[in-house]
Amino acid sequence: MARKNCLVKNLEAVETLGSTSTICSDKTGTLTQNRMTVAHMWFDNTIHEADTTEDQSGSSFDKSSATWVSLARIAALCNRAVFKAAQDTLPILKRGVAGDASESALLKCIELSCGSVKAMREKNKKVAEIPFNSTNKYQLSIHETEEGNENSYLLVMKGAPERILDRSSHIMVQGKEQPMDEEMKEAFQNAYQELGGLGERVLGFCHVFLPEDKYPKGFAFDTDEVNFETDNLCFVGLMSMIDPPRAAVPDAVGKCRSAGIKVIMVTGDHPITAKAIAKGVGIISEGNETVEDIAARLNIPVSQVNPRDAKACVIHGTDLKDLSQDQMDDILRNHTEIVFARTSPQQKLIIVEGCQRLGAIVAVTGDGVNDSPALKKADIGVAMGISGSDVSKQAADMILLDDNFASIVTGVEEGRLIFDNLKKSIAYTLTSNIPEITPFLFFILFNIPLPLGTITILCIDLGTDMVPAISLAYEAAESDIMKRQPRNPLRDKLVNERLISIAYGQIGMIQALGGFFAYFVVLAENGFRPYDLVGIRLNWDDRSNNDLEDSYGQQWTYEQRKIVEFTCHTAFFVSIVVVQWADVIICKTRRNSVFQQGMRNKILIFGLFEETALAALLSYCPGMDVALRMYPLKPSWWFCAFPYSFLIFVYDEIRKLILRRNPGGWVERETYY
Amino acid sequence: MSKDGDNGWKESVWNPRTREFLGRTASSWGLILLFYLVFYIFLAGMFCLTMYVMLQTLDDHKPKWQDRLSTPGMVIRPKADEYYEITYNTQKTESWDMYAQTLDKFLSPYNNTAQVEKNNECKPDEYFKQEDSGDVKNNPKRSCQFNRTILDECSGITDRYYGYQGGQPCIIIKLNRVIGMLPGKDGQAPFVTCGAKKEDTEKIGELQYFPPNGTFNLMYYPYYGKKAQVNYSQPLVAVKFLNITTNEDVNIECRINANNIPTGSERDKWAGRVSFKLRINTI
Repeated sequence: MARKNCLVKNLEAVETLGSTSTICSDKTGTLTQNRMTVAHMWFDNTIHEADTTEDQSGSSFDKSSATWVSLARIAALCNRAVFKAAQDTLPILKRGVAGDASESALLKCIELSCGSVKAMREKNKKVAEIPFNSTNKYQLSIHETEEGNENSYLLVMKGAPERILDRSSHIMVQGKEQPMDEEMKEAFQNAYQELGGLGERVLGFCHVFLPEDKYPKGFAFDTDEVNFETDNLCFVGLMSMIDPPRAAVPDAVGKCRSAGIKVIMVTGDHPITAKAIAKGVGIISEGNETVEDIAARLNIPVSQVNPRDAKACVIHGTDLKDLSQDQMDDILRNHTEIVFARTSPQQKLIIVEGCQRLGAIVAVTGDGVNDSPALKKADIGVAMGISGSDVSKQAADMILLDDNFASIVTGVEEGRLIFDNLKKSIAYTLTSNIPEITPFLFFILFNIPLPLGTITILCIDLGTDMVPAISLAYEAAESDIMKRQPRNPLRDKLVNERLISIAYGQIGMIQALGGFFAYFVVLAENGFRPYDLVGIRLNWDDRSNNDLEDSYGQQWTYEQRKIVEFTCHTAFFVSIVVVQWADVIICKTRRNSVFQQGMRNKILIFGLFEETALAALLSYCPGMDVALRMYPLKPSWWFCAFPYSFLIFVYDEIRKLILRRNPGGWVERETYY
Repeated sequence: MSKDGDNGWKESVWNPRTREFLGRTASSWGLILLFYLVFYIFLAGMFCLTMYVMLQTLDDHKPKWQDRLSTPGMVIRPKADEYYEITYNTQKTESWDMYAQTLDKFLSPYNNTAQVEKNNECKPDEYFKQEDSGDVKNNPKRSCQFNRTILDECSGITDRYYGYQGGQPCIIIKLNRVIGMLPGKDGQAPFVTCGAKKEDTEKIGELQYFPPNGTFNLMYYPYYGKKAQVNYSQPLVAVKFLNITTNEDVNIECRINANNIPTGSERDKWAGRVSFKLRINTI
């Protein structure tokens, strides 16, 4: 994960990410680049296009209007962004700016069109400011001016256009202030709609000269108690900026959707901008309409549209406030494509809770302080690494170090892969339980000499099986990993009956038979034919019986036959190693054939060689007979389990072939774990 | 609430609505059980096939590997219930009576009359080799007689109590049968020697061996297995303790001496030797 620039803070989060069924994504900075550029302006009742080219080669707009001067001044002054030091040689658009995206865009725009913003600010020193906050959705500052012969204070304000309009009683046209009327308001709305419909972030600007009589020089402006008026301002204009979507996002959203994950946009921004971006990245897909779209198309009022026809919807934060839990659940359940706009931090939390109530596993991506409650509440919180606030990074379980939303897809894939590989590892390990336990059962039931001893069982579980079992965790994804639905945490268990059925009932049994075959071979070749072994246990284990007769009439002392018994244990152990070769190869894949998947897992290949070498060492190393009572095997005894190993491989390949050819059939239902 | 919980638990065992037992309908059970039946029958068949193939490779008369029997074991008769401890009181008949009876039972197949019926008289002091010539098997093979009388005073014929009553007990020693074993190179027959363990050398007294020198005659070897030599009479050596110290534990070890039988491993106390404890109480 770190190689793909995902910092995982707690490891279980990756597995949770694999079961994610819903992603609630913040817009700005997550889905978009957060590199605002001023694209349009609206003043004097016209939309002007800004020059967004690098070298100012595009057409410039008419800057002669006095409204523009005022607008530029507000944009420059009501702005906390500054250029970083020592960049005078760089072109303006390439300079680094300390400040947030919108203010940087404004700074660059004004610097390009009007010259040094620094000079402008020095001429109009700031005396007070109220910074932006999510609830009020505006910011204002008060500056000294030298305009004309009025040494009055200038209050400049910028923020969400509708909030600015509410506080404005006048509007500036061609440099002159006029009272606001309905016509103007409608023009404003149209412009706002148009600009917003382009997916741009629109900011409104207004100012007022504070009358000198009420606010003399040296007036102590109190920003906490607000001892000055913030209403009846003069609306100057709108500036709109584009924040283009990140290049990798549409593709990532597409992959998530084909993986069965629902992507919901939750943003504090305007609904129209949100909808435009959503369409741009694929959260609202082509051909899907909201109730408003349908109403507009069929030319009928919204209330007449059948809500079930609209698969997409855009919900405003104010509407969200009035929804009950059931209504919220209804919306979440019946719409596949949802955008929540103008949401407050509390509402983001409510949305996450709503999704979780419906049983979804929710991932939340965000970068700002306002995302942190939702990040904490989510099953997995993903924060942006570069542009994310420290709070969001603290609250999150995973941090995208390069702010790339596409990394979430990687995370989901990795999470699903971990779950799949865990299953494989468990299936592999559980299978060897049957050949380990059946010797003892048969020892008791049929009174044969013990086929597999405790030390050899431990050699399997703690020795030879370790590396192959762990190597399965490094297995590559099977091809369909991102085409499946997310895992249902209630029904899709890690270990299910099908896994047990395969491991214990089918493969394990074949393995046990391989081991028993080796056992009988060793005993028979030493003189004890299988038929004579049944019932021999009491005599065999009797220490005082030192002339026990074998099938040929020879007589054995206790120690002599025990050595043969321990040689049997070693042979059984080696047989388990041999059949586990086949087991690890078939456990590599759950659906694909081994020939499709390939043997690229180097650790697995190492594991195969390592376990064989360890088995050979345990059998042949001098001193093992004293230390562990494991004896050297005749070379032919290594091959006893080969037919069974081969059978395991062939059987499982055929099973997986039937699985692939007959999806949904009986074989898949009963054996696909 | 708890009633619903009860019903839920019962429902997961038998659901009358969907007719599911433990989550499966009858036909589902039928299919899966049928699958497993066929699967296990196939596996059993494969196992039997591999076993059959393996058994075909085995010789009827001789095992494939005998490396574990390089040093044959030795045992004594009478075999007491205890771990090779013979303890009795000369005064109390019932304490040694069972030993005598055990020896009787053990030696009855060696009666001369029985031996004459079953086995041949062989030329002594040379191996009684009955080779096969290529594919023509020289079966069944004949065995040599081992007559009870060879054991002389320990045969139970002259002394019915095998010396136990008189404080001079007889112990019979047997060398384990190993197919094809030819003990004693160059005509030198293997023989048994008994001695006391370290602390008890004074107590053991004099020993008498039957046959003399405690040898196993070469004519009884090689052993060809119970299928070829049905009536094989395993040779025996008897050792009589003439004046063993009474009322004391005496630890005795009898070994086989042959120039081509390697000393057994330290671990196996019965490979090529046998240790036992003898205690004769007189009061």
